[in-house]
Amino acid sequence: MAENTIALVSFALTLMVFSYLLGDVPLIGSLYRIAVYIFVGMTAAFTLVVSYEGVILPYLQDIQNPATSWTTLGNRADIYIFFTALLFALLLLLKPIRSLTWLTNSVFAVVIVVGAAVGATGAMTGTLFPLLQATVALPEGLSADFGALADTLIVFVGTVTGLYYFHYQLRARADGGGEPSRVGRGFRHVGKVFLVTALGAIYASTMLTCLTILTERIGFLFQFGV
Amino acid sequence: MGRGAGIGAIMSAIIAFAVGVTVMFSLLLGDNPALFGDLPDADELARRFALPADVLLRLVVIVVALSIVIGIANLLFVHVSRLTSGKFYSAVLLASFGFTIYWYVTRQGDTSLLEAVQLPIESALAALLFLSLALGGARVMGKRRDIWGLLFVAVVVVVLLASLPLAELAPLRAWSDWLMRVPVSAGARAMLLGIALGMVVAGVRALLGQDRAFRG
Repeated sequence: MAENTIALVSFALTLMVFSYLLGDVPLIGSLYRIAVYIFVGMTAAFTLVVSYEGVILPYLQDIQNPATSWTTLGNRADIYIFFTALLFALLLLLKPIRSLTWLTNSVFAVVIVVGAAVGATGAMTGTLFPLLQATVALPEGLSADFGALADTLIVFVGTVTGLYYFHYQLRARADGGGEPSRVGRGFRHVGKVFLVTALGAIYASTMLTCLTILTERIGFLFQFGV
Repeated sequence: MGRGAGIGAIMSAIIAFAVGVTVMFSLLLGDNPALFGDLPDADELARRFALPADVLLRLVVIVVALSIVIGIANLLFVHVSRLTSGKFYSAVLLASFGFTIYWYVTRQGDTSLLEAVQLPIESALAALLFLSLALGGARVMGKRRDIWGLLFVAVVVVVLLASLPLAELAPLRAWSDWLMRVPVSAGARAMLLGIALGMVVAGVRALLGQDRAFRG
């Protein structure tokens, strides 16, 4: 596609998306929806292409070549794995048949549980242990620098109280109800300060990213007009 | 629940437990010869432990890729059926899908369609997000006039102002740097640890068959 054509199409589509700001004006209001439907159709097509080119095609090519193997089990095992996956995908299509739902659910069970096991193991080895180590570790030469010591303490207190904020525990009252303990409430308040600060900073960073993109888009529109 | 459905649910739970525990142990013990100490065949043992997770992950990757294909086919069927009742936008979606596939088949490796259509729409949508975020921030101040709303907006304003390249704002920038390094880092760590703990709990619930997602 020629560079001018790319610029012209980009210009038109950017204006179509920005027409959202004009609200539900007849004719103009539909421009935004047309752009979004084009986007959805194209994203679906690209997703299909990536799934086919990135996963299905390489596996299909590999099982046809006896010299290659994904595991130490050899090419024959690869063929079994591929056709088991195909069978699983076919079983997913049986969902509307009520008497065979258990077959579909068993396939879902395998997919969900493998995902859950990978997620849980990854969370433990990739986030929990490294973050806990980083939070409790004291930097070298800390005793000489009071500021660094205070910062390390604040990070430690913030992490512990922030984590405590997600913990719900009530003390039983005489009337059968429950209320949080005074210490727990204090911990949660301190934790909330750190969480709100972190969320505010994340919000501001996202705004800055979007503002940069907005500036680039407006710059493009003016450049195209000139 | 009928008897068949009950047996099905139990079977799904047993399969889930067996597969989940196998994958978890295989991931934790596999490809880590140090765990097996001075055993003479520690490398081989570690490789063998890694094998079940490798096989099951490959199986699931292919199933997920095929599920995406099934999902896209479903999307197309839904829009084709809406086409018969004269929905214009469904025609736009189908035309866009068809054109992209045609482009991919006839001009492999040409990314100009991505540059001309996909990138501008994504960028323009992200640009619109800035206005939504700014409006959202203003609403926080309008609806939640308490200490937490005030703290949230104050942090947003400090971080935004500190990003301006003005010499007069140097003290604010130093303060913003400290804010990012200490309280924001602490809050983000707490959130990440909370997410990680939640993932572990959700994973264990799925392993034990307590999750209803696959029980029908």
